[in-house]
Amino acid sequence: MTAVTSRREPSPAADLTAPRRKRRLTSIDVVKRVLGYMLIALLIVFCVVPFAWVVLSAVDANAGPNVQAPSLSLDNFVHFFTDSGTPRLLVNSLVIGVGATALNLVLGLAGGYALARFEFRGRRLFMFGILLVRVVPAPATIVALYLIMVKLELTNTLHGLILVEAVLQLPITLWLLKGTVSAVPIELEEAAWLDGSTRIQAIRRVVLPLVGPGLGAAAMLTFMGVWGDFLTPLVMLQSQELYPLSIGLFRAFSEHNQVDWGLLAASSVVYMAPPAILYVFVRKHLLRSSLGGALKG
Amino acid sequence: MTTIAATASAAAGPTGQASPKRRRRRTWPVVLLLLGPAALLIVVFILAPAVYGAYLSLTNTQLTGFAARDPQFVGVDNYTYLLSNSEFLASLGRTGEFVLYSAIIGQTVLGMTAAVLLARPWVRGKGLVGAAILMPMVVPEVVASLAWASVLSNNSAGTLNRLTGLFGADATDWLQVVPLASVVVVNIWRGIAFAMIMFQAALEDVPGELIEAARMDGATALQIFRFVTLPLIRGPVFLYLLLTTISTIGAFGLVYFLTQGGPGGRTTISAIYIYERALQFSQIGIGSAASMILLALVLVLGLVYVRLAKVEV
Repeated sequence: MTAVTSRREPSPAADLTAPRRKRRLTSIDVVKRVLGYMLIALLIVFCVVPFAWVVLSAVDANAGPNVQAPSLSLDNFVHFFTDSGTPRLLVNSLVIGVGATALNLVLGLAGGYALARFEFRGRRLFMFGILLVRVVPAPATIVALYLIMVKLELTNTLHGLILVEAVLQLPITLWLLKGTVSAVPIELEEAAWLDGSTRIQAIRRVVLPLVGPGLGAAAMLTFMGVWGDFLTPLVMLQSQELYPLSIGLFRAFSEHNQVDWGLLAASSVVYMAPPAILYVFVRKHLLRSSLGGALKG
Repeated sequence: MTTIAATASAAAGPTGQASPKRRRRRTWPVVLLLLGPAALLIVVFILAPAVYGAYLSLTNTQLTGFAARDPQFVGVDNYTYLLSNSEFLASLGRTGEFVLYSAIIGQTVLGMTAAVLLARPWVRGKGLVGAAILMPMVVPEVVASLAWASVLSNNSAGTLNRLTGLFGADATDWLQVVPLASVVVVNIWRGIAFAMIMFQAALEDVPGELIEAARMDGATALQIFRFVTLPLIRGPVFLYLLLTTISTIGAFGLVYFLTQGGPGGRTTISAIYIYERALQFSQIGIGSAASMILLALVLVLGLVYVRLAKVEV
């Protein structure tokens, strides 16, 4: 696109560190920059404009299905937290999200430790297997999963959904925590053993404090995955009082005749807030997790 | 070998002196205790559904009705039915179009554009631009769909209709008139960020000296991109294409929320076809057979991916 940075210095290394030299832009440079900024502006408009309705309607007491100037008010949020049905959605989402994340981390940390610290037959096969499993599209196995859940009498229950969601996110967590534990030098644990700690004590005192960041990343990724899931709760839950936000919003939207647009928008804002906030913290891990966890980003 | 992996010093440590046989006996119970629960649950809730689905695809299982009581083994009937069923074949075709236009073309081109632009040293406010592009990926599927429902709204005050109205066009019911194109655009929107992140990581690895040398030789920016940058990032780009293809084949929520497969089945991609057949028409057997065909397609791509990624365990 451009030939802008002044590259007079013979050594590229010096060039990288030296502050960019002020140089008069040629008219071609100016045109390039203007075009570049226009493209960027178009991209931003494309990415952000669809959110206009959600954000504006959430603070509009007379919200409709279209973008309009809002009559700034927090009525919709008050409704969301005081209505008969909507607080339930939020509570369910939180119970499912937090429960599944906790279960996922316990299983993932124990498994990740075993994968990192022990060499056993089938370890590589297992790691590759769970990597390959990640490519299986959820819609392709959801039917059989549903029937298995029916046989285990786990459909239409929150604990059943928590269990399934925790396991569906487990391959990423195992990969992530296996890598995190491997990065903790074994010598530290050995020192603890010599000091008389048992293996479990050594894990608690030495490993656990050091894998904090990896554990945190795994927790946030799992929570975001579970929080945003639509298909699994759609299939597994039938009772309205068990619905999480995702299904509640879908049902509310599908009732074409009597949609409370303001409430819907406010619910959306509540629903998208946690992942948007968590995202700031997990940015650098997201690439690895998106598929496989095997990418060297 | 057994016990502690990856440390040469382990041999000098306290466990290193135990005989291999003793160590093996002590390793397995610990591994089973630690990894066993996770492995068991993965088998039950991830592996078993795939295997059970393969079995179901050979039966005429139904959720309700006569065949629900006593499902029969029907061999490959479901497969022969599907492979001669125009509805299913059309859904595969739509999935192909959906993947081609949204993932392979749309997300890749826009993601690359964003990555290349943000690599320019003169661009101001990169953090803000990046955040804006990331928004569509970060929000839950349902919110993304809801946001687009208002953009594609059929009345004249819908966001897109207002925009086209500026050019004098009549209000259009986008999800009725061009449903597949609409969901393709929505999916591009959602996927730009992932493409951008992947390409940014790849572009960072391109040595600046090579770009510089090409520029000295008088190559234009476009030539540099085509003949220097692109060949150097071919690997990551290919990997990205594979990844996005795999994940887009499994897309369900966005499309289902916006159109539920309609109008008249024009957005019934394979994932929606499976959902409808199995869980709405309760034809588990046929739905499972369709799942298996989709699964086979993805697994082939997945194996290629695992091989190409050259992961180290």
